[in-house]
Amino acid sequence: MGIHSVGTSDAALVRRVQTGDTGAYADLVARYRDRLGRYALHMLGNREDAEEVLQDAFVRAYRSLARCDDPERFGAWLYGILVNRCRTAGARAARRARRFVHDPAALETAPLAGPDGRTEWDDTVRRALARLPSDAREAFLLKHVEELEYEDMARLTGAGISALKMRVKRAREQLQAMLKEAERV
Amino acid sequence: MTPTCTRAALPLLVAMVVAGRTTAQQIDSRLERLDAATRPTVAALVDSARTAMLPTEPLVQRALEGATKRASGDAIVAAVRRLAADLGHARDALGSTASPAELTAGAAALRAGASQATLAQLRHARGESLTVPLAVLADLVASGVPVDSAAAAVLGLAARARDADLVEFRRAVERDIALGAPPAAATAAAATAAEVWVNAGARQQRPGRP
Amino acid sequence: MFEPMDDVIERIARHLRRPVQIDPALDGRVMREVNARPTHAGAPALRRAWGWLRRPHQLTLTPLGGLAAAAVLAIVILLSRMGSTPSAPPLAASRAFQFVLVAPRAMHVSLVGDFNDWDATRTPMRRTGSEALWTVVVPLMPGRYHYAFFVDGSRWLADPSAPVARDEDYGEPSSVLTVGGGS
Repeated sequence: MGIHSVGTSDAALVRRVQTGDTGAYADLVARYRDRLGRYALHMLGNREDAEEVLQDAFVRAYRSLARCDDPERFGAWLYGILVNRCRTAGARAARRARRFVHDPAALETAPLAGPDGRTEWDDTVRRALARLPSDAREAFLLKHVEELEYEDMARLTGAGISALKMRVKRAREQLQAMLKEAERV
Repeated sequence: MTPTCTRAALPLLVAMVVAGRTTAQQIDSRLERLDAATRPTVAALVDSARTAMLPTEPLVQRALEGATKRASGDAIVAAVRRLAADLGHARDALGSTASPAELTAGAAALRAGASQATLAQLRHARGESLTVPLAVLADLVASGVPVDSAAAAVLGLAARARDADLVEFRRAVERDIALGAPPAAATAAAATAAEVWVNAGARQQRPGRP
Repeated sequence: MFEPMDDVIERIARHLRRPVQIDPALDGRVMREVNARPTHAGAPALRRAWGWLRRPHQLTLTPLGGLAAAAVLAIVILLSRMGSTPSAPPLAASRAFQFVLVAPRAMHVSLVGDFNDWDATRTPMRRTGSEALWTVVVPLMPGRYHYAFFVDGSRWLADPSAPVARDEDYGEPSSVLTVGGGS
């Protein structure tokens, strides 16, 4: 006898949740927690905000699970909710920063929270990422870190493919410029 | 004159019956992990349990356990069939209002050697959930306590002990057995000690008198 | 000489693609909020059908047609109840449980059991603090669960701190965890 497949598909878990098996949602959360957490952490720059947004996204996704028409694409659908929540959280954080920090230079050089044991390269990358405009950062992360196709990115973000390509290009150019600067210091 | 609406509504309702029946019979997609020879038999057992209003999730999990542990198809079918029978016997003893968690724990207690009479006595003795008392009974027997000693101890505590008290009682027995005490003696001693703190807790809950 | 752009970008992307570990306690917080809400219930097809039935329609039935319709409706309701998945009461709260295994020579440990469909990929454990300690936190609803640790893809270990699952059908060790409440 053989085992034909290992693991229960997202679609099977979603269908179980949709028929009242709440416990199956815990499996989906465990499955996507770290992967989505990575995006939220890089997008927002600190772990506390990332976890708050992640928790919010999971709860919202559960609430609107009946509207997930294609359980096979649960992951992508959940991603879309997270991208949206990160935008809202990012806008809130930016308003907070503008209200309380009057020195842009201080903001740029303020230490960023990150995982323990971070290296100088880690700090460099995080600072550079934080300095990108949020739409360019979002596009860069979705393309080069989450490795999505432009069609999927367009569905997630609501932006056109050309606009997304421009944002990714801008992000790449700015990141390269910032790293060049960092290496000179 | 039969209105057209009637002719239209009845086939629709009949179609819904068929759709509903089909939904009830759909094989749980997780059973695709079983091989082609084993899957239909296990699916039929799960379906029978569902028809008999028994919980099906423990049966599916037992089959999946077998698949993951690379057990033979025959072993998986036997395990699922045995559990389904135990769930039915547990329901006979505990009544039709027993929860899936109680039935699963009851099945484990029966498999450990407890009698249906013991389960029925527990039902009468305790107004709260029986999940933990039944699980403690099964766990004590698994630790080597004779089933009669385990049943007597749990029945003695069931009326007043909270779930946490019963778990603590089980831990005390296991600790004593690990230290070398004979299982029956360890159970009796722990039950006596547990009765003391259960009664102490009950006294504290009574309203004060002038 | 500065790196060409693609190499720089690839280096940044590779760095950012490294796995991130989010505190598993987040699962418990999510499920507490989830369990405070009503469950999703009912197969979509039956839900749509039930919605059709609840909306007002102009019908004129003969007495015999009315009886037949009522009988079919009763059968549909009975079958929809049979077809639904048994689940814990909607308001029963899950509790977070931490599983711990000391395995200094292990390279990979998974927690496998009734709560994750015995799927060895679903709940990997993490080394915590000392190199020998593997842990994971899992939210669990009331019930009785068999489980075991699957080490390096080949060895099954029971939990030394938990009762043994005596009803062992498959020749490999398992343990039992009982979560009370919610019946």
